[in-house]
Amino acid sequence: MAVLSFEKKYRVRGGTLVGGDLFDFWVGPFYVGLFGVTTIFFSLLGTALILVAAAGGGTFNPWRINIAPPDIAYGLRLAPMALGGYWQVITICALGAFGSWALRQAEIARKLGMGMHIPVAYSVAVFAFFTLNVIRPVLMGAWGHGFPYGIFSHLDWVSNVGYQYLHFHYNPAHMIAVTLFFTTTFALSLHASLVLAAINPAKGEAVKGAEHENSFYRDFIGYSIGTLGIHRLGLFLALSAGIWSAICIVISGPFWTRGWPEWWGWWLKLPFWSI
Amino acid sequence: MRFNTTNVTLLSLAGAAAVIGFGLLFTFERLPVQTVQGGFRGTSMGRVDNPRTAVVMAAANQAPEAPEAADATGERAREVYENVPVLGHLSVEQFGRIMNVMTQWLYPGEGDAVGCNGCHVAGNFASDDKYQKHVARRMIQMTMALNSEWTPHTAQTGVTCWTCHRGQSVPANVWHEAPRSTGPNFLTGPGEQNRPSLAAGLSDLPLDPFTPYLMGAQEIRMQGANQHPRPESRQSIQQTEWTYSLMMHMSTSLGVNCTFCHNSRAFSNWEESPPQRLTAWHGIRMVRDINNTYIESLRERFPANRLGPLGDTLKANCTTCHQGVNKPMYGAPMIRDYPELLPAPAAQRAEVAGPRIQ
Amino acid sequence: MAEYQYLFTRIQVRGPLYPGVPLPAEDEPRSKPFGFSHLAGKLGDAQIGPMYLGTYGVLSLMLGFIAFEIIGLNMLASVNWNPVLFVRDLFWLSLDPPLPQHGLRLMMPMHEGGWWLLAGACLTASLLLWCARTYARAKSLGLGTHTTWAFMGAIWLFLVLGFIRPIMMGSWSEAVPFGIFSHLDWTAAFSIRYGNLFYNPFHALSIVFLYGSVLIFAMHGATILAVGRFGGEREVEHTIDRGTAAERAGLFWRWTMGFNATYESIHRWAWWFAILTPVTGGIGILLTGTLVDNWYLWAMDRGFVASYPPYDTVNPYLQGAPR
Repeated sequence: MAVLSFEKKYRVRGGTLVGGDLFDFWVGPFYVGLFGVTTIFFSLLGTALILVAAAGGGTFNPWRINIAPPDIAYGLRLAPMALGGYWQVITICALGAFGSWALRQAEIARKLGMGMHIPVAYSVAVFAFFTLNVIRPVLMGAWGHGFPYGIFSHLDWVSNVGYQYLHFHYNPAHMIAVTLFFTTTFALSLHASLVLAAINPAKGEAVKGAEHENSFYRDFIGYSIGTLGIHRLGLFLALSAGIWSAICIVISGPFWTRGWPEWWGWWLKLPFWSI
Repeated sequence: MRFNTTNVTLLSLAGAAAVIGFGLLFTFERLPVQTVQGGFRGTSMGRVDNPRTAVVMAAANQAPEAPEAADATGERAREVYENVPVLGHLSVEQFGRIMNVMTQWLYPGEGDAVGCNGCHVAGNFASDDKYQKHVARRMIQMTMALNSEWTPHTAQTGVTCWTCHRGQSVPANVWHEAPRSTGPNFLTGPGEQNRPSLAAGLSDLPLDPFTPYLMGAQEIRMQGANQHPRPESRQSIQQTEWTYSLMMHMSTSLGVNCTFCHNSRAFSNWEESPPQRLTAWHGIRMVRDINNTYIESLRERFPANRLGPLGDTLKANCTTCHQGVNKPMYGAPMIRDYPELLPAPAAQRAEVAGPRIQ
Repeated sequence: MAEYQYLFTRIQVRGPLYPGVPLPAEDEPRSKPFGFSHLAGKLGDAQIGPMYLGTYGVLSLMLGFIAFEIIGLNMLASVNWNPVLFVRDLFWLSLDPPLPQHGLRLMMPMHEGGWWLLAGACLTASLLLWCARTYARAKSLGLGTHTTWAFMGAIWLFLVLGFIRPIMMGSWSEAVPFGIFSHLDWTAAFSIRYGNLFYNPFHALSIVFLYGSVLIFAMHGATILAVGRFGGEREVEHTIDRGTAAERAGLFWRWTMGFNATYESIHRWAWWFAILTPVTGGIGILLTGTLVDNWYLWAMDRGFVASYPPYDTVNPYLQGAPR
């Protein structure tokens, strides 16, 4: 099962970015490549460090493990391992693994003659993580501003960051990001529904194609964006959601220190309300 | 690129977005920022301040230089002056000193309505004919109470007239009740929220959190005290918004954020709350005492122009003293320099009490 | 390189406007196509229209318009009909649910919640009719009714927030206001009142499905565009008769993560992730205040709260402070 019936003809040499033919092989269904090796390295090291740090933290309950960044007092320096150093090394491992993964995607896309859309899209997610745990902490002057690695402890961090700005829902970029998250999900449900509805028509009906899909959407809302367009729209919405999330957190602190509702003061103070 | 309508439309849209985006840049603050850690590392509790704002705040929140201390021995003021029921226990020198600084703190300058004449009838210092004198006397009693009965909030820093007045006869930050929407409308009238709330940091939360919580003593705690609902836990989401409004007021008054007093993952939990929460808890009760026992009791004394549109007094909230910093005047221990504003020592208190002055 | 990135259409080929697949005789006739939009054609299909309104559509739009007007006119009335103030304060304005003292009554002064109830009823009817419309349109074209079921997932969340939970709590005042900032205040106050919604496991699930949906659309959209030059966007055709685009798209994920969906199954993954977002979210809201009053305490009891060093701040109420 490791190789599908049609797979053999695609498994050919070439397309690597670095390393030539050295790691140009597959293990089971996985393509390796140089970046597969680096991915494995960073993932194993990072996971091992998480386990070691968790052992030091006194709980292996997966919900309660909390690997926290250093105290603010350490600024942008390295902290002792048990006082945030684990967090720092794990962050490096995470970024190493994420970066390797993106480059591995690029190699696989090249091998298959595909566009670079997937690695680019994935990079946006990595960029959001990078913004949270590198850009913003650097701008604010301390690694301690990164979020802790823990299922519920990171939610505590989210909660407190929100209330550091009194009412985070008033953050304009957060408003845009949340709207994009909901819109993307809405668009995904509509797209998935349409394709499934065409492939799985009522009993006795023939499978429908793009003509019916277009007719349904034109009947429904007066416009059908088309089979190619919906994927452009979906990708645009999804990536915008990630980008605006990164914006909404990086402005909180570095570019705004007060309550977010107060930011709207500029609107209330515009000169033309007094007419 | 061809100049067809699509390209023109796209270009103008991009241009408009760029102009608006550029304009919006000026609505933000800029680097660097100062941070002070609050809770355990990684919980993101603590303060985030703009050092440029901090400089402005520091300049605006200075304690005035104290005049040389007065000799506390010698003749008592009540033995020399007439009608000095609340400060009669001071030495004559202390009495003169505190009268002097009060003039500078409330009515600086010289003239018919300022200086000593702010409270006293010119030429007859013993006269009680000016309402200001009654108010001042009551406020001195209040200050003494704040420095003795309310030390869980005022601590060693203490309170003086300057804490609120800062050179003005009426403190800059006071509040009164606002007229409510009139009578039943068919359509929704201007309500108690849904406009920019100055009290609640421009949010959409209730406009007046002061009347219920800083004059009245309505319940502030909204979170359920148990896992599962009990018949008594009927606090509504609307009530929670009122509490939120009060908390917005407290945060903006003190120039801090919610995490100064709470770990927001469990707002109501005291074990997870920094000790500042307890200080603030006492502060809320102190302000209620200020407003009820001292200020509102003077309602009949005040002329109409010193009352709100509904006839209530101009009352205190957190901003009245704090004025944007978490400790008024950054915690300058003013009371150390003005022992005159401490209550009379117990031995003299019986003589001082005399008739209740209001 | 930019030639094959498939981010927008460089050359638009124009055929005649397409009037649509013929409808069954019992349907009303649809409108004529409206025309082409060069701008729309940059991203997707250039043709605008035709549209089928029908009885459901007309009724739905009318009721939606009434709800919109009730909300807007009440907002305008709340600033004493001042148009400048209306624009300035628009984000702050709100049509609030009934006051708590009215409980679940249907009759109450209009300005104390009657308008909210009426707007909510119109909006609900509008949404249900729009949902019925997806069913009718799909049936007329012989398509499956997946859109309708998906739409019902969203309506479930809408009804939980504005109808089912308020009824279970015994008061319309529990419902969400109509307004930009006011509904955000409601959301924040809701979480605070019930002890932090982050500890509500259904809220957590809903967020997972929400982020998961965005992740899936990013992966799926990117994959289809990346195989665009092999005709990868023809998803139905590839489902029935796999071509090289589908093979490459599948192999990409197989080689990347050891597993791949197919041209059909990716839409099933997508459908379920998108639907489960409002479904689990609605369950989480429905449990809040009805079965659980404080999610943090609930989570403490079940042992999944991370622990930090406690403060020694004493609860003044345990020191005998009056309540």
